[in-house]
Amino acid sequence: MLETVFSGQLLFAAAVLGVLYAVIGLGLNLVYGTMRLLNIAHGDILMLGAYAAFWWFTLTGLSPLLTLPLVAVAAAGLGIGLYVAFFRRHLASGAHVAVVEARSLLIFFGISVAIQNAMAWAFTSTPRAYRYLDGVWHLGDTAMTGNRIAALAVGVGVLLAMLVFLNRTLFGLEIKALIQHREAARIVGINVDRVQLFAIGLGFAVAGIGGVLLSMTEQITPFMGFPFTIGAFVVIIMGGLGNIRGGIVAGFALAFVEIYLVTLTSANLRSILVYGIFVAVLLIRPQGLLSRARRA
Amino acid sequence: MMKRLFAGLAATVLAASAAWAADPVKIGYTIAKTGLFSNAAPSQITAYDLWAEQVNADGGLDVAGEKRPVELIQYDDESDPAKAAQLYERLITSDEVDLLLAPWGTPHHLNVAGVVERYGFPMVGNTAASVAIREVAPGNIWFPTSAIPDKIGPELAAMLKEAGVGSAAVIANVLPFAQENLQYLVPALEEAGIEVAMNESYPPDIKDMTPLLTQIKNSGADAVIALSYPADSFLYMGQARELGIDQPYQFLLVGPTIAAFNGAFGPAADGIITLGHWSPQQADWTKAQPFYDAYVAKYEMEPDYLDTALAYMSAEILQQAVAEAGLDHDALRSAIANGSFETINGTIEFDGVENAVTPTAFLQRQAGETHIVWPPAIATAPLKKR
Amino acid sequence: MNARAAWPVLVTLAGAVALWALGQAVGAYWQIVLLNVAMWIALTQSWSVFSGLTGYISLGHVVAYGIGAYVVVSGWGMLPLWLLVGLAGLASGLFGLLVAIPVLRVRGPYFVILTFGLAELVKYAVLNVETMLGKSSRLIFGAPGTETLLLAMAGLAAAATLLRHFVGISRFGRGLAAIREDETAAETIGVPITRFKVLAFALSVTLPGMVGGLMALRSTYFEVLQVFNPTISFTIVTMAIIGGNEDARGPILGVLFLVGLSEVLRSASPQLYLICLGLVLVGFVTYAPTGLLGLLHGRRARR
Repeated sequence: MLETVFSGQLLFAAAVLGVLYAVIGLGLNLVYGTMRLLNIAHGDILMLGAYAAFWWFTLTGLSPLLTLPLVAVAAAGLGIGLYVAFFRRHLASGAHVAVVEARSLLIFFGISVAIQNAMAWAFTSTPRAYRYLDGVWHLGDTAMTGNRIAALAVGVGVLLAMLVFLNRTLFGLEIKALIQHREAARIVGINVDRVQLFAIGLGFAVAGIGGVLLSMTEQITPFMGFPFTIGAFVVIIMGGLGNIRGGIVAGFALAFVEIYLVTLTSANLRSILVYGIFVAVLLIRPQGLLSRARRA
Repeated sequence: MMKRLFAGLAATVLAASAAWAADPVKIGYTIAKTGLFSNAAPSQITAYDLWAEQVNADGGLDVAGEKRPVELIQYDDESDPAKAAQLYERLITSDEVDLLLAPWGTPHHLNVAGVVERYGFPMVGNTAASVAIREVAPGNIWFPTSAIPDKIGPELAAMLKEAGVGSAAVIANVLPFAQENLQYLVPALEEAGIEVAMNESYPPDIKDMTPLLTQIKNSGADAVIALSYPADSFLYMGQARELGIDQPYQFLLVGPTIAAFNGAFGPAADGIITLGHWSPQQADWTKAQPFYDAYVAKYEMEPDYLDTALAYMSAEILQQAVAEAGLDHDALRSAIANGSFETINGTIEFDGVENAVTPTAFLQRQAGETHIVWPPAIATAPLKKR
Repeated sequence: MNARAAWPVLVTLAGAVALWALGQAVGAYWQIVLLNVAMWIALTQSWSVFSGLTGYISLGHVVAYGIGAYVVVSGWGMLPLWLLVGLAGLASGLFGLLVAIPVLRVRGPYFVILTFGLAELVKYAVLNVETMLGKSSRLIFGAPGTETLLLAMAGLAAAATLLRHFVGISRFGRGLAAIREDETAAETIGVPITRFKVLAFALSVTLPGMVGGLMALRSTYFEVLQVFNPTISFTIVTMAIIGGNEDARGPILGVLFLVGLSEVLRSASPQLYLICLGLVLVGFVTYAPTGLLGLLHGRRARR
């Protein structure tokens, strides 16, 4: 038992799952943190990214990773489009935060239903999958499939790049300022609208990238996104809504729960553990396990 | 989308050109176009569409001697069995269809069984797999499947015993079909003298199986039996490869018969054993290979060896019964109940609601082909070690 | 009972009787459409009692539906139906009371997500219980026909409508509305917010438990994932938003509109229907946040 717990295999599995959760959570967190938009269509952006990678690979035979820039830009465009169409004016009107949240939840729910079914209409709901980098590599006792290593590497790259961007560039700092205190950010002269536009684009781009990574290991269907939306919410709740670094840590924490607690107990308890922790966090520390209490 | 549009136009034109011949035979069914089960629907819709296209290309459906074009009427049952029952009532009473085809899945079949019983409207079922089908009042519904859990367990145990398996690690999804199988499998394994080295269930939304697979690896069992659904079959395959799960016999319940499964794993899926009783490799079934070829030509992918084959068979049975008895419900009922049908799955006859001929069987992927490996009577290749 | 109170009662009861009578006149198919209309009215009105009045959006009302269904199916064949349905309501009401105190301390988006997570947690817990009991499939034979279910469901729809109406015009309801406007201010002016919220929540999940219990009987084969399907929660919220939350007429309008849209479009193309549904919801939230009810009272709503 102990040997299993400390094996490199479990660590690798937890790291891959953790990176995916962290990336998926990060995209949602950017959108929620800056604008308080509850993007329940988040998983569907992943799904679109996954389909793009699937068709690209199927039609050209080239690496699905090559789609990353294109998918990122297209997803960003979609996010910006939605922002301009539905949220810009409402956010500028200074509506109460609770109203913004409720309204965005419903709008994104509508968008989610429309996107899923448009995809089902266009491509049917037949599951799709493809084979890419599926060789198995060995490092000591630990076996790793090529596409999972690729997902891990790209995911870590995205997370690091985002952390550097948010902490080292002016634009990144403006986003963080907006997350921390909206009114103050406005007062010190930050162009809130521009930052929001950028943040939603960035959040959607990260979601699209997550979708490309997922497509290498998951079966792809128009309805694959919803469980990831839930996963993303679990992650950002655990890390504290709007807390970027907390969300990344929480992504890994959730993966470790899923791998290690399941190893120590039973696979049968997996979903009860995940949702149990989720509900417990919301009840006991709704500001997140990793946040200090913050002002609304 | 354009392709679909053209296909639609073509179908309309075809239907129009056939219309001079005779009134079309209206055939209705519902399927889960949306909701929980919508991923499974295409495997069945494609079978029905292909069948209808072939029948029409052949001059129409033989209705006791007269050839008439067929027209399919499809409704979305939203993955809701009660909705399916409601829509079958609508098909019967308001659309006044001449014939019925079956919906997808056990719950839907059981609900629709009540409707066809009430209206005395015979329907050949297909994709229901549960001991519960025997609780259905016989007479108006028949199940060509031989994949029924109380037979799967003992047959699987018999096959593994013959292969010399001494112990098996069992993992099972908590959803009904897997659990029903588990219930019959474990006693059957024990009775066959196969030690159950591990028996764990897992939830349907599991995202990583490494802990389970590590346990399997450490169990030292000779065989792995995963009572899985499609999504977790994918997960199992990907991660079992990574961990080098090298048990010579690995069984996955539902999933490996789907085209995408072979798309995702290719040669790595070789040696995986799964549930199914049809294969184009069986030369005694002369219709099997032509069906396979026609399907691949039309859809550019393999049929689902279980669901698509069953759906197509059910249509074939209906077609042959109508040729003999016409559309009258009483005549049709007795033709289906007493007839003997030549299908892509060989001869089929019914005893009560069940298929009395086709044995419970298992498939194995071998060098890119799907073979029947059990029982010996219909096997197309011997069971191989992975 | 004075005339102001009597009118809504009469209209509601007349509506329920009309629904039932219509069910006698139409064929089997439309009978089930009416059953669905009654079901959604009962669910959406119940939801509105809590979420519509307080502004706390519950995305987990399916939990009540599922618990009710599970109670009825578990006891099927052992106890009479009316008792089982009563127990279903009792079980979901008690569940509501039990979780309300901790859950209702949580506000805003946390509350929305929490209710959803809670419903999922209960779903997986029930799945585990079924696995432990070795119940792979439960069959329900001898369930009452559509006509009986329609009669009972019309009754539940009327009860839910009256509940929503009378809570809405009561002091209790005004207290809840004050919570929606500003919880802190409501507390300051003496609204017992915890007691009101807990009570409203428990009331709001009781009838859905009974609805779930009845609806489980339409299917011969019981599946946990089906009765705890989160789509039910989402549909309730969608109907409530499209109808409008101002009073008890809103949910009815929302239900009729969506069921009607579904009947018109769904048989032509189910995906097209759902795409339209999504866009209609977006349209209402963006351009007519007060719902159909608000549109009908155009001038007043715009104020």
